[in-house]
Amino acid sequence: MHQAIVCKSEFCINKTLLSVTAHSKAFTIRSRCAVHVSAPLIEASELTKQFGSVKALAGLSFRVMPGEIYGLLGPNGAGKTTAIKIITGLMEPTSGSVKVEGFDPIENSLEVKSRIGYVAEKPILYESLSSRDFLEFVASIRKLDQNAANRMVTQLADAFGMAKYFDAPIATLSMGLKQKVALIASLVHQPPVLLLDEPLSGLDAKSSRIVKDLLSLHTQKGGAVLFSTHIMEVAEHLCTRIGIIYQGKIVAEGTLDQLKSKTGNKSETLESLFLKLTNEETEVADKTRLLGDVFFKNEAA
Amino acid sequence: MFSSRMKLLEAWHLSRLPYKEVVYRSIAEERGRMWWGGFGRGRVGGDAQNDYELTKKALRIAKFDKSLVAIFNVLAAVMPFTAQLFGSPTLGLTSAIALSLAVTFGFTALYAIQTLSSFVSAESSALLSTLPLEQNDFSMITLFSFVRSVDYMVVGAIISQVLMVAYYTLSPVAVLAMLVASVMNAVLAVAVALWFSRVFTKNLSRGGRSRGGTVLRLFFILMWGSLLMGVSLLISLPWYIVPSLEMTLLSPNQLSTMLLCFLHPFSAGITVTNISQSVTAGSTPLIAAVSMLGYVVVAGFAGKWMLTTVKRISHGTDVRASVVTATDFSIKTHKPLFGYVLKDLKVASRNPATAFFFALPVLETVIVSFMIANFEVLRASTLLVSTFMGGVFVLLMPLALLSAEGTGLEYTKTLPMNVNQIITSKTLISTLTYVPVPLVLLVMALVKPLSSPLTLFIPFFVVLAVASASIFEIQLFLSSVTKGKIAALLYDLKKLVVGVTTLFIPLAVYSLTYLVSFNHILAILTMGGSSASELALAVHLLKRNKK
Repeated sequence: MHQAIVCKSEFCINKTLLSVTAHSKAFTIRSRCAVHVSAPLIEASELTKQFGSVKALAGLSFRVMPGEIYGLLGPNGAGKTTAIKIITGLMEPTSGSVKVEGFDPIENSLEVKSRIGYVAEKPILYESLSSRDFLEFVASIRKLDQNAANRMVTQLADAFGMAKYFDAPIATLSMGLKQKVALIASLVHQPPVLLLDEPLSGLDAKSSRIVKDLLSLHTQKGGAVLFSTHIMEVAEHLCTRIGIIYQGKIVAEGTLDQLKSKTGNKSETLESLFLKLTNEETEVADKTRLLGDVFFKNEAA
Repeated sequence: MFSSRMKLLEAWHLSRLPYKEVVYRSIAEERGRMWWGGFGRGRVGGDAQNDYELTKKALRIAKFDKSLVAIFNVLAAVMPFTAQLFGSPTLGLTSAIALSLAVTFGFTALYAIQTLSSFVSAESSALLSTLPLEQNDFSMITLFSFVRSVDYMVVGAIISQVLMVAYYTLSPVAVLAMLVASVMNAVLAVAVALWFSRVFTKNLSRGGRSRGGTVLRLFFILMWGSLLMGVSLLISLPWYIVPSLEMTLLSPNQLSTMLLCFLHPFSAGITVTNISQSVTAGSTPLIAAVSMLGYVVVAGFAGKWMLTTVKRISHGTDVRASVVTATDFSIKTHKPLFGYVLKDLKVASRNPATAFFFALPVLETVIVSFMIANFEVLRASTLLVSTFMGGVFVLLMPLALLSAEGTGLEYTKTLPMNVNQIITSKTLISTLTYVPVPLVLLVMALVKPLSSPLTLFIPFFVVLAVASASIFEIQLFLSSVTKGKIAALLYDLKKLVVGVTTLFIPLAVYSLTYLVSFNHILAILTMGGSSASELALAVHLLKRNKK
């Protein structure tokens, strides 16, 4: 059976009539645009990643739908950055698969890279270039129209208060300013998928608020955001869904309310919820008690 | 409380920490240094490497790197003296000393600049600044960490130069004078490297979009590159230079001799030699001795300046970023390849460790002009050898461009561009640096007769070979995985060997064809054919790249 569907996504490159073949159980997507209809923008299935004897990912699966801000929440070394790097195509998984708008980051790397905006945990930029030089380079590689790129860069740079630093070498910028440059570079081509690894670290309150508002606007347009963070409040207030990652796999997933209902305590904070789900609550209590003992003993001595 | 002696030892010991940081940054940020490029490159499949392993590897490579450069520096210091060992009547002690000092000056400065730029720009002592140390101790530790960057090669050069003079003169006073001259030479070399690194870093920190600043930087690059490479070139051409230099230095009361007396290292050469035996007549030895004394004073000031500068670096007050408020946020977009080429040019020219490679066209032109200047007729053999020599220098360019990428290459991997664009960009830049050579030869052909008009095609065929060699080198670099320093060294040698072989094949094809057929036109045509085939093969390999 064949169906004709028009892709309505604002990010869709090809807004023509699409041909989708429906089978008894699932749709076989004939055109890449068809993924906009209802398919996830990011889909990770049973991802594993082995670094020597260390298993960074152990069967990670999640989906990010259009209009969603998906928060990947986990302790240090849980596999958040590894997962994001695999989605960008910077790293190959040991097993499992990833699709970004239906494309495999390794097999169709150019297709994926043109659809994502990525901000790394530590901004990796060309340190000797100025922000202007760097954004010119990024816009050129992304084949952006001069006027469109200018409009976007001007608005973003102005919003982030970059005037004093726009022509300074990136090497001389603070961590927060570098983060802003990386954010502008990730947004300049208005990609449907944003992959942000701790994007708010180092940002001042104003810029942090701007980023949050930008992400909301982005999802209102039908885009998706995969967001990793350690800051519980950010995840609590910004993310539409949260995936708690622990030892390389998702241990709990859902909206904040859904997660709270799992523990049966509606007034619980995300922090305590997180510690419970990652089995760290007792450990934290024990460590704090021990530290307290040491502190008071030293004082007494 | 430590005694002052213990304190010095303690400071020396502690200086390992900031030194390691500097070394790590200078290597890690360049990810795949020019020579020992196996380090830090991502494995096939892109696995991230363990940070601890990377740090250990960086330090091992730095030590290995430092030792090799020190050995090379010692060889360079000793080489000008070797002609005397074979009883050469034309090569004297005066010019040997002067050349030895000149060459070690060049190499020391060249190497120091590779590590000092990290020392100047990085918060090299940031780790120590959180510890409860007194300001003076803190400065001393930073100074020692700075000394550690060049210790092996400086000590090696000084000892070898002093030993060579002791062997030839058997005069304690001459040995002492040589010791003074060698130390002074090393101090001046390191001071020049530190000054240059600071100029670069300061220029970069200022930022802004000043055209004047860009022109000034270009001027610095050309001046610095030509100077360093020119000095380094001396080592390969002692047989051309030393005889005429010796004659000039020993001619009494000539204007050229008088002028050389004022210049370091010639003043040192004349002074040390004349202490052991009177070889120069007239006022020359006296003028040279006074000049050398002047340079010792200058070196004293340079040393003092270095101390102050290092102190300022340790206190974080040396390089200040100035704020230039942007009046607009407009950006210019270009075609992807041109955008990448522009980025490459900007990044490499702003890194003092790679910027001097932009002086390659000047150097190649000088080499080629120098080599053919003495010939009445431009013969094929002359052009083959001179263009090959010029081409070999170009092979360093792609590796330098890759080194300059630093960690930024990680960002590029997230952009929608394939590896071919990276290779093409770097190949274009490398090949363009060679283009002045055939153009210079074209001009020379107007002045000097050619053995055959077709001979002029030779340098243009070499341009094709240069492009192919660049593609092969970069392909190897980007696709490589190496473990351990020896493997990395062998791998980097392999890259250069592949490059040199690619350049050499058309030359070999020409020679073989000519030997078999004695037909000059046929030999040139087959050479053209082989150059074109190499390029076709390189382009074919490029097209096979999937990513």
